[in-house]
Amino acid sequence: MTFRLTCPVCGARDVYEFRYGGPERGMRPAQEDLSPEEHFRWTQFRTTRPAPQEEWWYHAAGCGVWFSTWRNPATNREEGPAT
Amino acid sequence: MRRLAPSPTTRVEVDRPVPFRWVGRSIEGCQGDTVASALWNAGVRTFGRSFEYHRPRGLFDLEGEGASQLVAIDGLPNQSAGTTALRAGMSVSAQNVSGDPRSDLYGVLDRFDRWMPAGFYYRRFHRPYRAWPFFQNRMRALAGLGVLDTSSPHDDARRSELYLNADVAVVGGGVSGMAAALAAARPGVRVCLFERRPWLGGHMDWRVRETRGERLYERAHGLAEEVAAHPHIRALTAAPVTGIWGENLVTGFQNGSDADGFDERHWECRARAVIVATGTIERPLVFNHNDRPGVMVSDTAWRLARSYAVRPGMRAVFSVGDDLALEAAVDLASLGIDVAAVADARADGADPELVAALERAGIEFLPGYAASAALGKHAVAGVTIATLDGSDERRFACDLLVANAGRQPDIGALSSAGARFRHSPHTHTFEIESLPADVFAAGRVTGLVDAEAIETSGRRAGLEAFVHLAGGLGAAFPSTDEPSVYAELTKIRAYSSELPGPPAGCGILHGPNLGSGRKAFLDFDEDGTWKNAVQCAEQGFDVPELAKRFGNFGLGPGQYRVPGQNVAMAMAQITGTAIEEIRCTTVRPPLIAPKLATVAGPNHDSYKRTPLHDDQASRGGVFRRAGAWQRARYFSDDHTCRAEIRNVRENVGLLDSSPLGKFRIYGPDAIHALQRVYISDMTKMKPGRCKYSAMCNDTGNIIDDGVVVPMGRDDYYFTTSSNRAASTVEWFRYHTRYDGWNYNLVNLTDTLASINLAGPRARDVLRKVTDADLSNQAFPYIGYREIAVGDGIAARCMRLGFVGELSYELHVGASHAPHVWDLLWSAGEEFGIQPFGLEAQNALRAEKGHVIIGAESEQRVTLLDIGMGWLWSREDTASKKVGAPALRACQDQPNRMKLVGFRVDEGGGSPQDGAIVVDGDDILGFVCTTRYSEALGWQFGMALVKERAIGDGDVAGLEIYENLGGRPRRTRATIVPPHFYDPDGTRLRS
Ligand SMILES: [Zn+2]
Repeated sequence: MTFRLTCPVCGARDVYEFRYGGPERGMRPAQEDLSPEEHFRWTQFRTTRPAPQEEWWYHAAGCGVWFSTWRNPATNREEGPAT
Repeated sequence: MRRLAPSPTTRVEVDRPVPFRWVGRSIEGCQGDTVASALWNAGVRTFGRSFEYHRPRGLFDLEGEGASQLVAIDGLPNQSAGTTALRAGMSVSAQNVSGDPRSDLYGVLDRFDRWMPAGFYYRRFHRPYRAWPFFQNRMRALAGLGVLDTSSPHDDARRSELYLNADVAVVGGGVSGMAAALAAARPGVRVCLFERRPWLGGHMDWRVRETRGERLYERAHGLAEEVAAHPHIRALTAAPVTGIWGENLVTGFQNGSDADGFDERHWECRARAVIVATGTIERPLVFNHNDRPGVMVSDTAWRLARSYAVRPGMRAVFSVGDDLALEAAVDLASLGIDVAAVADARADGADPELVAALERAGIEFLPGYAASAALGKHAVAGVTIATLDGSDERRFACDLLVANAGRQPDIGALSSAGARFRHSPHTHTFEIESLPADVFAAGRVTGLVDAEAIETSGRRAGLEAFVHLAGGLGAAFPSTDEPSVYAELTKIRAYSSELPGPPAGCGILHGPNLGSGRKAFLDFDEDGTWKNAVQCAEQGFDVPELAKRFGNFGLGPGQYRVPGQNVAMAMAQITGTAIEEIRCTTVRPPLIAPKLATVAGPNHDSYKRTPLHDDQASRGGVFRRAGAWQRARYFSDDHTCRAEIRNVRENVGLLDSSPLGKFRIYGPDAIHALQRVYISDMTKMKPGRCKYSAMCNDTGNIIDDGVVVPMGRDDYYFTTSSNRAASTVEWFRYHTRYDGWNYNLVNLTDTLASINLAGPRARDVLRKVTDADLSNQAFPYIGYREIAVGDGIAARCMRLGFVGELSYELHVGASHAPHVWDLLWSAGEEFGIQPFGLEAQNALRAEKGHVIIGAESEQRVTLLDIGMGWLWSREDTASKKVGAPALRACQDQPNRMKLVGFRVDEGGGSPQDGAIVVDGDDILGFVCTTRYSEALGWQFGMALVKERAIGDGDVAGLEIYENLGGRPRRTRATIVPPHFYDPDGTRLRS
């Protein structure tokens, strides 16, 4: 498996250069009155589906930026949300 | 044997002999030979024995893929004779052989096939269960190919890697591939071309037939020169492609020569478009004893003669199904090889020009006939040829039987690129149904046979790829010659349609009078016979993908090429299914197997060295790999480091702690970022003081600790453990990615060296190299000062006590570090200064009860578990500290692992780090670090154990269990507070 991703700083680069940060799951929840269940759902649960999704990637072997991008795990292509 | 007279197609230098050894015998090849061509020329017919039945096997095809032609070379097993270039002095031996390959002792297995039906190994020997290990051992002794020579530690081949980027990658350097490369290589377009053979030209490289006033090899040579001279084309020869992956990553390897500076290298090419021109392979004809040495496909016989000037045999018979093989027969006859007869499985459809040429050469032509059996015990001595209905059978004496059932496209590369295929009743092959948008096919892989059509298809594919890159016809071309490209493509599309398309193919699968087919092989690698295929179907494994696995068809080194689409055709025929309804088996990468060592690449051990490396080496430092660094572990042969430890406790020692992570964070929101990732309240920092804290992950596990120092307004300096240095930036940015905070983070780890001066005389030493006030009042414990050392070298100085003594940690510019080290060394001489290494530091800090993340913690352990809950700012929810919710959730969980100190009881031994702590059969935890302390006079340690082992729990003391070399050992220990040495901290505050 290999594909390319577009870093907002460096442009299209080999996926080997990036580290995956999981699908977008919203901001870190407020900790006031945060139940353990809510906390662990946010930290542990991932919803990868074979359809375009927003994901976080880190350009580890490059500029060191975290960015989010839309990608389809079924095709490994960057692909915007289904309209 | 005497070589054939060299011709313009000859690729060897017959007058430059190359001596080598074959199973101990000295023989000779010549410059340019492969191992296979040299062996064949020397009269060797049996290259090895087959995997299961130990049948003699020889040279079937020269592409180097089947197991039949694998040999051991200089002790390395499973080398391809067909593709390995011959080198002087090579020692080549046969595989899977007991004794001489011509009379292998296990050859008797060939008679046992009745008892070894398809799926034999899956179904036999599993009952009774207890008997299985016995049979397993016996079968393992017989199975496998080749023997690894463990006396030679590893092969010392030179490995290399090459990473390419191309606009267009062309797979296959035949005429269509070269034409495609030349057509695509317009201004601004970079083309990489990969050819598996050591030269460009494909099958036209050895064909002397004349078309349109030019011999085919001349056309091939002409194009090869153009490609070589083209500034935009990089052509790699001897470079098989192993697969085409996502977004057109073409991977492969390349065999190098002495001049190349590598023996085998891995390469990858990221391309925007790919053109596949891999040609065809011959589909093997299935008939009785079709694996006898001396049976080969037509390209093998032809290339032996034309490329290597080797006489493939004295007297040849052909049983084939395509025009190229007929051309081979005519050509071999012209080179003086006696061709007794040519059977063509096609009743009609043969090229009349070639039939006439056969007649002129006096060769008997038998349309509608095919081989039914090869004769001869160890090698081919004759053949029976019969009409397809088996009625008219004829016998010929021969030592060379050229056999194929026709041709099929070599679809491996296309298949791995995502192409789809369907069966064509016209060509009798699985031909391309659809291609990905950026993949193009050209040449014989598309079924073309006509030479002009092949070359034109290449030029067309090159232009199509170029237009695709440019965004399609009508889009703005990047090149200046837009109108000409447009016109050329339109013209070539029209011209293509006038040229001959794919001709009718040959649909034969097996020869006549097959019988049970128990000695007729579909797969040579694992001895898969026609009978096995029938058995597969009988047992319900009746579709190709199932039969492939149950009967082991195409799982060996030959992969797809042999048996190729024969498996699909066999299943269709045996089950009476229309071939159109059958899916051929998937071709899986690697299409051609590279050595694993080549994929692994050269053995680069890349590590970092601190600026103080050389000085420590000169003082006897023994270096070990620690994370990304080489670090001094010991300074003597005593790996318990008694002298180093004693010197720190009594005098003063110097430690190079440069790998320590060092960072600057600044900006208006820097404090927010610190509050997020550190578990303590970081707003409570004081100037001139180090703030010790830790980081947790989202599950509350401690992952790092270090100190933070405020440097100025919104400006902080902090340290991390050495192995967190590389991921700290990522960590900060990840956990603040939604916040839009304005801060900058700079990794200073390699910029600044770190020198740790530790011991009761540390102040005396430092005082000699700085004017700064080092008194306990002016620069107390946990203090931070910026001091000038020597002639004014700026040093960030922290008064910390990791090893439990008065100590100063000096962070200085990496380039100044050796000088500062020297200054300290000279200043310390009168106080008995000595270096100490990582092991001494480890023992010293453990004696003090200071933890190392990763040693006294592991992935289940939280901040609270190792007794560092005092760092946690519990009330702070506003900062959304990473790990805080998890700590809240688990703080009252019962019976978690806790860190304890222990003292080994009187008379106990010295357990090792990692030993387990037990209560009967129950494992309570494990020992993290344990050492004998000279200062204390006893063996101490830290362990992570379940809470019930502690305090009021139901277990008294610790029982440590080890089983070293099968000798169980139990050690009793008592739990004590983990502040073994100087529990009040008077020494580090002194
Ligand atoms: Zn980047």
